[in-house]
Order: sequence, then structure tokens, then C-alpha cells
Amino acid sequence: MNPENLLQHPLPTPKCTTGCPLIDRFLSGGVPTNSITELVSESGCGKTQLCLQLLLAAQLPTTLGGLASSSLYLHSEFPFPFRRLHQLSLSFRSSHPSLFASSDPLDRIFVHPLHSAEHLLDVLRRIDRFLEHPPTLFPLKLIIIDSIAALFRSEFENKPSDLKRRSVLFFKISSKLKLQAKTFGLAVVVTNQVVDFVGSSDGMNGLRVGNLGSLYSSGRRVCPALGISWANCVNSRLFLSRNEEVLGDESGLVETGSGDFVAVQTKRHIHVLFAPHLPNSSCEYIIVREGVFGVERTATDLQKRAIK
Amino acid sequence: MEVSRLPLSASQRGKLIYAGYTSLSSLSSVSSSELARDLNVSETEALEILKVASYSGWLDGTSGSHAIVNGAQTAWDMLHEEELLRRITTSSADLDDILGGGISCKEVTEIGGVPGIGKTQLGIQLAVNVQIPANYGGLGGKAIYIDTEGSFMVERVLQIAEACLEDMLDYDVLLHKGVQACQVKMQPKDFLANIYYFRICSYTELIAVINYLEKFISEHKDVKVVIVDSITFHFRQDFEDMALRTRLLSGMALKLMKLAKKFTLAVILLNQVTTKYSEGSFHLTLALGDSWSHACTSRLILYWNSNERYAYIDKSPSLRSASSPYSVTGRGIRNSTSNCKRIKMM
Repeated sequence: MNPENLLQHPLPTPKCTTGCPLIDRFLSGGVPTNSITELVSESGCGKTQLCLQLLLAAQLPTTLGGLASSSLYLHSEFPFPFRRLHQLSLSFRSSHPSLFASSDPLDRIFVHPLHSAEHLLDVLRRIDRFLEHPPTLFPLKLIIIDSIAALFRSEFENKPSDLKRRSVLFFKISSKLKLQAKTFGLAVVVTNQVVDFVGSSDGMNGLRVGNLGSLYSSGRRVCPALGISWANCVNSRLFLSRNEEVLGDESGLVETGSGDFVAVQTKRHIHVLFAPHLPNSSCEYIIVREGVFGVERTATDLQKRAIK
Repeated sequence: MEVSRLPLSASQRGKLIYAGYTSLSSLSSVSSSELARDLNVSETEALEILKVASYSGWLDGTSGSHAIVNGAQTAWDMLHEEELLRRITTSSADLDDILGGGISCKEVTEIGGVPGIGKTQLGIQLAVNVQIPANYGGLGGKAIYIDTEGSFMVERVLQIAEACLEDMLDYDVLLHKGVQACQVKMQPKDFLANIYYFRICSYTELIAVINYLEKFISEHKDVKVVIVDSITFHFRQDFEDMALRTRLLSGMALKLMKLAKKFTLAVILLNQVTTKYSEGSFHLTLALGDSWSHACTSRLILYWNSNERYAYIDKSPSLRSASSPYSVTGRGIRNSTSNCKRIKMM
């Protein structure tokens, strides 16, 4: 039994690009390998969009920030958004024509449905052989579980015995994933849902997890599902939020008070709730046909001013 | 045998008795530097005195060194020893204050808190700070980092090490008023070489490593801190037999405590927080149960207070319970900056 030599660790830790340089910079390179990254948001914020984009981006060679790997997508929310993945793959292919001239990126994405938490554990045990002897030339380096919350939210009741059984499962799943991540250098991404936060703001102090005092999405106060036990199981947690902002004088559409229309824009942000290697920060992003992209706030502000 | 009968000069005998060294046994466990300080003489002279004393003790045969033979130590000696021990700074002066100068060696300290509060950050900071050379007030030791959760990021260690080096350079400039060239010869990479890193993937591995530590540390005597991040993770799954879990945990705690005493090193155990169900309501508590809370000498709880991180001494044999704010910055653990902010706001 010998300690690992930290000097021989690759520096920085290999990361998987998200396919957008701005979000990559925000995440200091992308999604780290050897660790579990969690994406938390309410539905419709772009968790799945970002996941699909990661499935494709992982195939890029390491010189372009990818992992030169194939990827596995385990989904518990049905149906699998195949049309969207196809759409993304077309634009992905056209932006890297030389890399995917002869092969289809979709060939390197494996998809498997999940029906329960026990099923997930079973699948994880079975992919060990798959990880050791990859069927393609590209080893599997990215596992995405979308979503972990859906597996747990139906099956367990809110009583002590069920909660205990649930948290034992959390730690089993997490330690299996971490073992695989470490042994095979995987990047693991799990998505999680939110629940409405009910309670006084004072009561939050003890339970507060992460950088933000309170999480708001769509004007509601929310907190990540699955409680504090699961929060102990992930290495980094990112929160995607969506909030409507009334466009003020920049657009010239100021509310006149007589019931006129108000221009409303949805602003999406990604926040670091906690991560061992990232500071407390946030980044605005948009979802377009070609995928999820970061927005440089200062640049858009400058643009707005220029238009004015 | 009395000190007054030792073949020493009268002034030396006088100094010895004046400083409270009346019997030979009181001289048997004292080091030359301590003696030099107590007698206000040079270290070489103190060494001579000790030589004479041990020679006479050996001639005497019957008396002397019985303190060592029995392995017993008086509380007075222990107090002296403790005062001489250097503590590991946390890099936050406020936090050091409530800890009585930093994390103490020879003790097992447990640090607990919610995810994202900065447990791992504090762990990495201590692994770096233990390496601060002695002429900068550090221990100049090495660290063992046992990672069970995979949150240890080498790039983050490098960041904190760079900031630590910068602080040492600033100190140099301050001390020598910028006249002398910098004396720090360490590179950020050297910090990495001095951290022995074990990545653990199951509880059996964890127990194996802890059993192996004694051998490892006796080969690497300069290890001054052992950090386990976290002690909890692998013990929260797969245990139907809770009695077995308790036995394994307390066995581990005993081993770690023994290591801390034997090699004069600090053991840091990071713990998670869980919700405990009692009397019809849920509340937050550190994981691993009540019996575990006896396992550590001192316990530090990290928590949020509005928008600030706070540390609270929950258990300690020598420190009063107190709390202090701290912050996690790009450079590592530092003092909380909110005091300045409040002034600005006014």
C-alpha cells in the first residue's frame, strides 16, 4: 500500500468540455473527471440540454478539451429526447467536419433506461466489464444519470425507516460511481430536481447547503431534492436557474401603466453551489438550436449600450 | 540522588536548584534546549550538565531515570511539553484565536459541517500549512491525506500552496524591510511532493490504511498531520450490523489517537452532517452517532450564519467554547472580510 505521487497527477485534472468556451471558462475547463458533478434545476432550465451536449462534446479529442471517449446516458425520465440529440449531433458534426467525416457521433453514445434505484445499482455493476473492455475504439469516459431524483421520488415515503433505506442507497450508488470514476478516469454527471422550499428564512441557517443563501427559480424559492444525505454524495453541485426579467428602458418598451405589453426576457444562470475547485460564481447562458451557450454579461451590456 | 551532590560548579548547582531541578529524576526527561532556557545558560553548557547528571545517575544505579522506566510523566512535565508544541495554523487569525493558536498536535480533531461549507478546503489548507518551515513559525512537516470522497483536487492544492508561498515572501520582505533577497527556497510543486495521498474506495481499505499508518509514519517521521476526508463516507452504506460499525469505528479512533500521541502529530477527521430523528422532529447533527462523539479529543463544527461561514468549538478539553467567522477565498482559508464590508456600508 503506497501513497500516490501527486506530482504525477495530470495538472490540471482532465476535464470534459461542455462545448461552449464561456461555460468551460466558468467551470475552469469543464466537467472534471474522477468526480461526481451534479446539475440541479427545476424542469425546463436546460439540464437535459446540457447533458446531451456533453454526450457529444466528450467525443472531441483531448486537444479540443474533450475526453476522446464514448459516453453513456442513463435516463429515468421518459421518453429519451432522441430528436433533440439528433439535431444537436448535426450541428456538432458540421462544426467539426474533419473529425466526423466518416463516423456518426451518435454511434458513440450509449443509452440505457432506468426504472428504479436498485436497477441503477444493477446497471452500474454490469458496466464494469463494459468499462474494462470497451466495444469501440473509444473507451467510455462519461456517465450521465438523468435524473437521479426521479428514481427516488416515487418509491420512498417520508417516514424514518424509508428515509434510512433511501440514504443507504444514496451512499451505495455514490461510492460505486466514485470507485468507477477513479478506476477508469470517468466524468460522472447526475441531474437532480428541486422541491419548493417551505419554511422560515431563519430555519434555513442550519440546513443551508452551498454558496447561495437561497435559491430562486421562476420566482419560487426552491431547494435541491433528496435532502442533505445526497448532498454529501456528490463532489460538486451546480444550480441552473431561470428567472423572468422585465426589459426596461434599454428596449424602449416601458410600461405606460395603461395595460400595455411588457417585454419579458427569460434569463438563465448557472451557479456554483459548491465545488472543491471552483469559487462562488455564476454565469448567464442561453439555449438555442445549436445547444447551450454562455453569455458574457459585460459584452451584452456593451451591445445594449451601443444600440441605444 | 540530590542535584546538590552532582560534580558541578557551585553556580550551576545553584541555577539548577533555583530553577526547580532538585532531583536527578527531574533532569532525566528534560531536553538540553529546555534546560538551557530554564537555567538561562547556553545550550552546550546545558548539554554538559545533562551529561554529568546522566553519568552520575548511571553510577548511582538505583535512583535516577525511574520516570522513564515507568513511562510515567507528571502533569507538570506534560504542561511544559504542551507549551513547547507548535500548532498548525489555519491561515485565519480569528480561527487560530479560538483554537488557541491553531490545530494542536498530539490530538484528534474532528471537523464537521454541511456540504460546501469548506471542510475539504480546510483539510487541504492544513496539509499545506503543516509544511511551513520552522523559521516562519511552522512545523516544517509533511502531511498524509486520506481521501475517501474524491474531492481532493491537485490544482486547488497548488493554488493554496502558491498563496502560502506568497505570504511567506511578504513576511520576508516585512522582516528584512526588503533589503535582503527572499529566502524561501520552496516551490509550489514541493508542497505536492510532501503530501502523501491515499485514495480510498471502501471501508475495508480505510481500515487497512489506518492499520498501516503506524508502520508508514515510523518510516516517515516528519509526518506531522494526518487528514481523513471524510471518516464518514464509507460507513454510511452497507452496515446492517450497527454494533459492528461502532466497533470498527472506535477501533479506528483508538489507533488514530495512539498515532497522535506516539508521533506527536495532529489527526484531523472530517465528518458529514446528517438529520437526526428524535422526539418527533428532525434536527441536524454530526454523522456516525453518539458513541462516535467520544472518539475525538476536540470537535469543531462549521456552519452558516446568514451569509458568513462560522466555526464553533463544540468539544475540547482545554479550550472554551467559542465561535468565529472565517471565509474560503481563492487563496485558501482566510479571515472573514465582512467586518470591512460593514464599515464600508456605514
